[in-house]
Amino acid sequence: MNEAFPSEPRLSELVERAFDYRGYVTVLRSDGSEMIGYLYDRGPAHVDLLDETATRRTRLSRDEIVDIRFTGDDPVRKSQEIWERRKGSLEPRDSPAHGEWAGSRPVLLAVALEQELQHVARALGLRRHRASARGRLQGSDIVALAVGVGGSARVVSDEEPRVVVSCGFCGALDPTLEAGDLVLATSVRAPGSEAVRAPDALLAQAHRALSGLPFYEGEVLGTSAVAATPDDKRALGASGALAVDMETHSLALAANKAGIPWLSVRAVLDPQGVTLPRFAREPRKSYLTAALRHALSSPRGAMEIARLASAARRAGASLEEAIRRLWKVLA
Amino acid sequence: MSIPAAQMAAVAKYVLEQRLAGREKYPLVLMLEPLFRCNLSCTGCGKIQYPVSILKKDLSVEDCLRASEECEAPVVSIAGGEPLLHPQISAIAQGLVERGRFVYLCTNALLLERKLDEFRPDKHLSFSVHMDGPREEHDLAVCREGVYEVAVNAIRAALDRGFRVTTNTTLFEGADPERMRRFFDDMMGLGVEGMMISPGYSYEKAPDQEHFLRRERSHKLFSRMLTNPKRSWRFNQSPFFLQFLMGKRDFDCTPWGNPTYNVFGWQRPCYLLQDGYARTFRELMEETDWSKYGRKSGNPRCQDCMVHCGFEPSAVRATFASPRSLTESALAMVTGRL
Repeated sequence: MNEAFPSEPRLSELVERAFDYRGYVTVLRSDGSEMIGYLYDRGPAHVDLLDETATRRTRLSRDEIVDIRFTGDDPVRKSQEIWERRKGSLEPRDSPAHGEWAGSRPVLLAVALEQELQHVARALGLRRHRASARGRLQGSDIVALAVGVGGSARVVSDEEPRVVVSCGFCGALDPTLEAGDLVLATSVRAPGSEAVRAPDALLAQAHRALSGLPFYEGEVLGTSAVAATPDDKRALGASGALAVDMETHSLALAANKAGIPWLSVRAVLDPQGVTLPRFAREPRKSYLTAALRHALSSPRGAMEIARLASAARRAGASLEEAIRRLWKVLA
Repeated sequence: MSIPAAQMAAVAKYVLEQRLAGREKYPLVLMLEPLFRCNLSCTGCGKIQYPVSILKKDLSVEDCLRASEECEAPVVSIAGGEPLLHPQISAIAQGLVERGRFVYLCTNALLLERKLDEFRPDKHLSFSVHMDGPREEHDLAVCREGVYEVAVNAIRAALDRGFRVTTNTTLFEGADPERMRRFFDDMMGLGVEGMMISPGYSYEKAPDQEHFLRRERSHKLFSRMLTNPKRSWRFNQSPFFLQFLMGKRDFDCTPWGNPTYNVFGWQRPCYLLQDGYARTFRELMEETDWSKYGRKSGNPRCQDCMVHCGFEPSAVRATFASPRSLTESALAMVTGRL
């Protein structure tokens, strides 16, 4: 169906208005078809449109334009209305740092110590700088942080991640678990409190990603003190939990509160029957100096440190493999 | 003045080469806008009012590097939008640095501290942090509480890690010269390499149309701010441009001096006005009717503009115009007197 063509002054006026307009327009063509797009340029004989997905450019001859309608929202008017509405009042301090562009939210991997962070950074090829390692892999931003033993869950609100992964080392409560075995938490509970369940969909994906590795699924216990002796661990294990750590519970609570899916994968450092040396029972930023001092204190101390270092190597290697496999799901 | 010697030498060499080659029009700074989306909506900004699909569009690393190679300007200012929202911003910056460009990555710094790991300190890379004055004025200009504090912390973190950091300040009607002088002290106290200052351009699409400075008001404000500048202040701008802001010198705009490339193409004629797009840099330079722009053209949109993207290139041209002007500029740099 042929439409009536506008006069040249009318067409020029329409084209200039559309060029100045910051929203989408609908161009009616002489063959009866319509084209929706953003009119970003014009010449004496043509107009240039970017389609609604902002991927395809089309040059239309002016001769085929019958009408231009201003069918899309006007972002300029919208921005002025918002500004008028909140004139004098500012956006709150805790507004997301990414604004409304949630697509670029990172995956947060939280560990307790820088030693654990080293394994995460190595697994993902990140450069570590002190207690953090950041980067981008397969189109996803990653932030890996050492939050300290029993560390602050504030990282969840600070980083605004799209997924939280609590990872690192743990102590075994189940006597069958050995150093280097992996524990995938189905839920986490603090003694005497309700369990926080990991989201089913993410858990199922993680389960598939880890298949083939020596990993166990079950509840993890979150404590505020290090479970250091076999007696401590047996007592805590009575709850049926597989393992114990000091970070997953607070991270899972913070993630749940923010509506962010979470996951916990931990590698066993100390099996249930192992007693941790005295220095390892206090939360510290780094255990290196204390471990050296302990090793030099007596032959028995040196043996304990050698055993712990060997367990840490196994746990670290397992953790790296787990993170590498999980990344395929997380990315 | 605080432009590093290596950068000054590179720019001087480039300008002399252009003059020796007899080129009348050549670019000094590529304004690269790899995206339009932003995590702030500032009161005086007319750059980000687009449909969501356009706001979500990113220039690729290859597009950005190709634009820089087409244009050959020795300095690249990465603007936007907020560049740190671009998923490959570090690759863009690194690619430009590897090509020998001096890169100013303009940012509101909301994401700077958490993105620092993605960048490597380099004498060719500077973070240019948006700071529109003291805490109260800045938070008001960006319409969000606490942004000044975030930016200050990010500046400290970047400096600690060995990055070059400058500040970029846009001034509006109502700015208090005395408070701005104290703000300059604060910024220098943080240890930034230098500061950039400019009056805001009166974008037609910006929400606040009431606070753009007119030319006479700009002269008065900058004159009061910059008269008897402190020895400790360092500006990352040419002395002639600062004297222009103070009303001590007059130039017309050099609209081709800072050509702009963004998701639509090469923007005609400049960073501030949108009169269409060219597909190539050559097309921009050769097919734009430059006589329609600048104060002398009578174009009403150019009458109050004193923004650095048009007048810093004019100031640089004036600096190299004669041995006398070159000496005057060098003296101002050495003595710090404007």
